[in-house]
Formats: sequence, structure tokens, C-alpha cells
Amino acid sequence: MKATRIDHVGIVVKDIDAALATYAGNFGFTADSKRGGELPALGIKNAFMPVGESDLEFIQPTSSEGPVAQFAAERGEGTFMLSLEVEDIDAAVEHLRAAGARVGNASNGVAFVSMKSTHGVNLQLVQRQ
Amino acid sequence: MGIGATHIDHIVISSNDSGTVAQTFADNLGIEIKRKMIRPGTSAQLAFAKLQEVVLEFAGPPQVTPGEEVKAKLWGMVLAVEDIDAAVAHLRELGYPVSDPRPAVQPGARIASVKDGTSGVPFAVIQYNAIPAEAS
Repeated sequence: MKATRIDHVGIVVKDIDAALATYAGNFGFTADSKRGGELPALGIKNAFMPVGESDLEFIQPTSSEGPVAQFAAERGEGTFMLSLEVEDIDAAVEHLRAAGARVGNASNGVAFVSMKSTHGVNLQLVQRQ
Repeated sequence: MGIGATHIDHIVISSNDSGTVAQTFADNLGIEIKRKMIRPGTSAQLAFAKLQEVVLEFAGPPQVTPGEEVKAKLWGMVLAVEDIDAAVAHLRELGYPVSDPRPAVQPGARIASVKDGTSGVPFAVIQYNAIPAEAS
């Protein structure tokens, strides 16, 4: 099992429109209009800005519950999550579990590694192809 | 007009034991630690891995406290820019507090820190090949 690429960096923000305006207007990035939006099941809305071969994902909590809302309540805005691309998500989950790591089941090509298995880093694995 | 960023150059994971955190990532995720060093001046312990164009930097204090729980967090990122002087001038014109560009750990590179106004993300800009070889 090998992580091959930084897929994206998740950034929790209070106001996603303001953050996008800052990163576009001041820093020169362009939002990907084909991705992102409101995700009620996760209690968030998000948007993506490509930077080279990776993305910045801006995430605003829309609910008072869930890990994004918890992060926002405890730390405010900031760097929330690192997403790494793997070639085979099922094999990656199996490998990590065999190594003793706590990993959620893969769903739609995405799996989350428990922060207890990463010394506190919020880590997502994603299979793109 | 922006800062002329071409890609994320590196992402910093800070902890109280960079060696252990880097080894966990290497063992569990197949990430190869390519380089370890002590940062001149601060003596911070650094370890580096590279995933295609992005470097993962594991940063920690000079000394590890024995028996202390290892705690890490995703800290911030450094964006590669084509012209660091232009990027700094642009940001200052917009009112951002930005440090003067200084030589980076990476040979020939200059780096400047953006100290506020980045949605809570500590970030810096870096330009490679910014210092002639004989001067770096």
C-alpha cells in the first residue's frame, strides 16, 4: 500500500463565500464550479480550488454537529484534514487494519483513518480511478 | 492578479516528536522519508517525504520528552510562486502582513510568511532558484 499523491487539503472556514472571495480575489485561485455544494448529510457545504495537482477544499459547517462543526467550535478556522490518494482503497483499508490502525469502511472510494492512529492528524484516503 | 502560485510546495505536520510521526506515516502509508535534518537556528527536527510535487514536512522540537504522548496536527502549507518579490508586493498592497523574503532551508530558495488573513491557515510562499548558486 502506498499513498501516491496529496489529493487535497481541507480547510474549515466560517464563511465559505468570504473565503473563496479571498483566495480568488487576493491570491488568484479559481474555484472549480463543477464540484462542491451543500451536503446536508454531512452538515457542511464545500468548494474546491485546484492548485497544481492538488486541491484546496473549503468546508463550512452548516450544522452544530459532526467533526467539522466540532473543529470550528474548538479551533475556529484552519487546516482541518489531509487527503491522500491511494491506488486501491480497499487494499489500503485492509493494510492499515492489519497494521493495527483504526480505519472506517471505504465508501464511494473514500475512507477515514482514526486520528488515534495518526497521532491526531485528520487523514482521509481516496481512490480516484 | 494573484500571487502567481503554481502548486502546493509543502504541507507541514507539526508535533512533539517529528521522528515518530514521520515513521508512522512511512510504516502505515508507504511514504518514504527522503531526508531528515535539524533546522539551523531553531534546532527543530525535520523530516521530509515527497508525494509527486508536494513535500510533506514533519516538524518537531529539538528534544523529545520521554514518555509523553505523541501529538501531531496538520499545521499549514507553503505555496510555490514564480516571483516571490511580486507576490509579497501584491499581498502587502492588499494589506496583508507578510515577512520579508528570506533564504529558505531549500538551497537557492527564498520564502516569506503570510501572517494573517488566510482563513486560519498558516501559509508561506516560496520561490525556487531565487538565489544564484554561488550565493546560496
